[in-house]
Amino acid sequence: MRPQFSIIFFTTLAGMAQGLLFFVALLNIEEPVLSAPFLSMLVLPVSFMLLSLGLVASFFHLGHPERAWRAAMMWRTSWLSREVIALPLVMLLTAITFFFVASGIAPAWLWAALLISTLVLWICTAKIYQCIRFIQEWSHPSTLSNFILLGLTSGGLLLEFLLMLWNDPSVPLGMGLVSGANFILLFLALNLKLWIWRRNQKLKPQSNLATATGIKGDNIRQTSMGFMGGSFNTREFFHHQTDRVIGNIRKIILLMAYIGPMILLAISMSSSSISLIAIALLMHYIGQLAERWMFFAEANHPQNLYYQRVS
Amino acid sequence: MSTNKQLALVIDLNVCVGCHACVTSCKEWNTSGSAGPLTDLNAYGASPSGTFFNRVQTYEAGSFPNTQTVHFPKSCLHCEDPPCVPVCPTGASYKRKEDGIVLVDYDKCIGCSYCSWACPYGARELDEERQVMTKCTLCVDRIYSETLPESERKPACVLACPTSARIFGDVHDPESDASKAIEERGGYALMPEWETQPANQYLPRSIMETIEAARNDK
Repeated sequence: MRPQFSIIFFTTLAGMAQGLLFFVALLNIEEPVLSAPFLSMLVLPVSFMLLSLGLVASFFHLGHPERAWRAAMMWRTSWLSREVIALPLVMLLTAITFFFVASGIAPAWLWAALLISTLVLWICTAKIYQCIRFIQEWSHPSTLSNFILLGLTSGGLLLEFLLMLWNDPSVPLGMGLVSGANFILLFLALNLKLWIWRRNQKLKPQSNLATATGIKGDNIRQTSMGFMGGSFNTREFFHHQTDRVIGNIRKIILLMAYIGPMILLAISMSSSSISLIAIALLMHYIGQLAERWMFFAEANHPQNLYYQRVS
Repeated sequence: MSTNKQLALVIDLNVCVGCHACVTSCKEWNTSGSAGPLTDLNAYGASPSGTFFNRVQTYEAGSFPNTQTVHFPKSCLHCEDPPCVPVCPTGASYKRKEDGIVLVDYDKCIGCSYCSWACPYGARELDEERQVMTKCTLCVDRIYSETLPESERKPACVLACPTSARIFGDVHDPESDASKAIEERGGYALMPEWETQPANQYLPRSIMETIEAARNDK
């Protein structure tokens, strides 16, 4: 598939906000671990801003953004429609939590609702891709696991950065402990990514020219796709990059999204500094942009079988 | 199988000569009909690009000297279980109950392209200029027309085909020409592995079997 930058920015920005909100809700659901000023002045506004940026990015994906409201209509059948409802829901719950926290304390049910809404949004986003059964790279539960894990890693790193920025000694969280937790999440995410790449490599396409055309005989090949110019079909479903570029982007993903931040976190476990975490967060986010790009690029669409030869 | 009507095309690969008359007549009718315009960008430039509902592709099979060239018209298959319809977030994509035609409501389409991702056949094209999803309508504005003569109430591609390679009819009616062709000549569906149950079917070439039989005869 052709990587769509609107969706790359939307899923990574919203994912980071979801991860942040998930951890904050988890920490505060039993008793208020994080202080109200930290939440109302930093965490919740930052989350809301990231979600808003994601929402704006998603509009760039549409040919008719002025009709976007219509996309909430078919929630009974369409995961995209469900996502269109879930994103404003997370934003609404973030705003409600903000008003509760700003005027005192947010009740446990609100934190629970916020926690669940972040999970719901991850499920909706991942299912958009996972439910397309003939894109075999996507049609697997690892798509959802990957979206959730990378949301948690970026959100966890952002939380660590914000905690250090706030620098409040009353927060009962050791920075070494937070670094350790983020390191473990990144380690899990890295292993999942490597597993997904191995799975993709071993996939056997279920469609081929014999099933696509039904022509009897061996050695079927296309001699003409039927036109010499471009079309939607020749643009939308392929990344148009060489194998070398793809290989290099894979290396960038491993280094930027996973290994680099893990090294920085390992250092910060013993001697923690805010610049270290800031660099780790920035690296991880850039790496995640590349990872999301690759998520599209490595998805093989069977329609490409029909568009192989110009003559 | 439901008892409702399901209009469809049956493509006879025995007689398609790859002349592209169906492609041009489809474009001509639909660019000026209710589905249009099907815009062409940079039409006279170095890299033209345009929206088409129908293409004729060419394939080869076998090894020399036993090769065959197959011209292969390709358009929306109007699946009985169309994967493109349930994914549409706005309801712009729908399958008509009365005749099984899969259509797009251009006034509701937001141009998100999700339906095109959900079609394994690549039957949908986003019109670059109008930014809405377009696809074969089975010439819904021809076949029910009250102003056209009765004999012309067929899809433009069917009327244009010089070798009658395109048979139009109700594949749920066992008495229709389309159903009979499928039944008698081994009509098959494309990519059956995804269980989309395409309404359009293809008639396999029998020439290779005839040649094979003649060889074995002597």
